Amino acid sequence: MHAKKIFIRDLRDADSKIDLQMELVAGKDGLGKEITVGDINRPGLGLAGFFDFFAYDRIQIFGLGETAFMRRLSPEQKREVFEKFFSFEVLCCVFTHNEHPDEMFVEFANRYRVPTFVTRHRTTRFISLLTHVVEEFFSPLVVMHGTLVDVFGVGVLLMGKSGVGKSETALELIERGHRLVADDMVEVRKIDESLLMGNGSEIIRHHMEIRGLGIINVRDIFGIRSIRNRKRIEMVVLLEEWAEGREYDRLGIDEKRYTILDLDVPYITVPVRPGRNIPIIIETAALNQRLKKMGVFSARELDGRIQNWMRMEGERSDD
Amino acid sequence: MIEREVLVRSDAGVHARPAMMFVREAMKYPCEVFLIKDNVEANGKSIMSVLGLAITSGSRLIVRARGENEESAVAKLVSLIENDFKN
Repeated sequence: MHAKKIFIRDLRDADSKIDLQMELVAGKDGLGKEITVGDINRPGLGLAGFFDFFAYDRIQIFGLGETAFMRRLSPEQKREVFEKFFSFEVLCCVFTHNEHPDEMFVEFANRYRVPTFVTRHRTTRFISLLTHVVEEFFSPLVVMHGTLVDVFGVGVLLMGKSGVGKSETALELIERGHRLVADDMVEVRKIDESLLMGNGSEIIRHHMEIRGLGIINVRDIFGIRSIRNRKRIEMVVLLEEWAEGREYDRLGIDEKRYTILDLDVPYITVPVRPGRNIPIIIETAALNQRLKKMGVFSARELDGRIQNWMRMEGERSDD
Repeated sequence: MIEREVLVRSDAGVHARPAMMFVREAMKYPCEVFLIKDNVEANGKSIMSVLGLAITSGSRLIVRARGENEESAVAKLVSLIENDFKN
C-alpha cells in the first residue's frame, strides 16, 4: 500500500535526490489530477494519426522526433491532430531537450487542463530519472514508530515503547557525531524489492521531543552535520527495559531478523537500565554490523577458533 | 481493539498545543493509542508523531486503541477532539 494519492504536481515538487528539472508551461488547472499508472508513453504514433491503443492515461513524453514532426505539420493538420489527441483524457505531457511546445499546443493544453512541462534533460535520461521518481512514489510504504539514526554510515532504526529512551539515545548519538534522520515516526519505503529507505515526515523533519525540554530543532542546535534526510535501514535495535530473569543474547552467534515490508533486517535487543551507556552499545553494534557485511563474524570466528583449539588439544592428548 | 472516526472542526487544526493536549490525555491510559489520517498511523502518545500527521481543520481521523481500558480511552480522546481540545 502507498499511503497517499499521487498527483501530477508531486512530480514537479518531488522531494527526491533526483531533479527532473520540470518547468510548467501550460495546463496549470490540471496539476491536481491523480497519477494512477507509473508508466510513460511516446505519442509519436498518435501524432501521425494512429490512435489505436493510445495510452492516454500515462505520462506523454515528447522527444526531438515528436517536436520535429509537429513542426512539419501545416496549421490545419496540426489543429486536426491536436483535436484528436486532446479528445482523450491525456494525463500530462513533457517536452524534453528544452524544446518548448508551440502556441497552439499551449492553447489546447490549457483548454483541456493537461499539465505540460518542459525539461532540460535528454529524452532517455529523463525517462530513466522519471522511472526512478515514479517507482519511489508507487513503492510500498509503512510508517514505523521508531527513531532512525545514521551511525557510522549504518542506518539504525531504534524501536521500543514510548518512554524507554529512544529520543535520548538518539540525542546522545547525535552529540557523538552521528546523524538523525527522523524521530518517532519513520516512513519506510521498499525500493526495488531489495532495500528499505527511511525518512521523516516532511513537516516535522529533524525535530525531536525530549521530555523535560520540549520540542527542539536538531538541525539548528547541532548543525548541518547532525542530520540527513533519508537513509537505508540496515539494522533494527529494540530498546527494552531491563527485566530481571529475562534471557538476553550473550553470544550473538545466531542472527535475528526483523521483518519490514517482507524484507528481513538484522535485529538486536538491547536491555536498558539506568547507568548503562546505550549509545556506545549502539555504536559498537553498528560497527559490528559493518564487519558482518564485509564477511567478518566475530562471534562465529571466536567459536571456530575455540573449537579448533579444542580439537587440537584432543589430538595431542590422544598421542 | 476499538476505533472511532472523528472530524476535526477546530479552525487552527492540530498544532503544537492541541497535539500536547491529545498526547497528555492518551498517556493517562495504559493501552496503545494510535491516531490515523489518510492511512498514516501515528503513535498517539508521541507529540512529534501526532504533529507529523499535519492535521488540518476538516481532516477525518481515526482514533484507535488497543489494550487495557481501550474503550474509555477512545471515548475520551474522541470527545477531546470534538470539543476542540478543550478539556
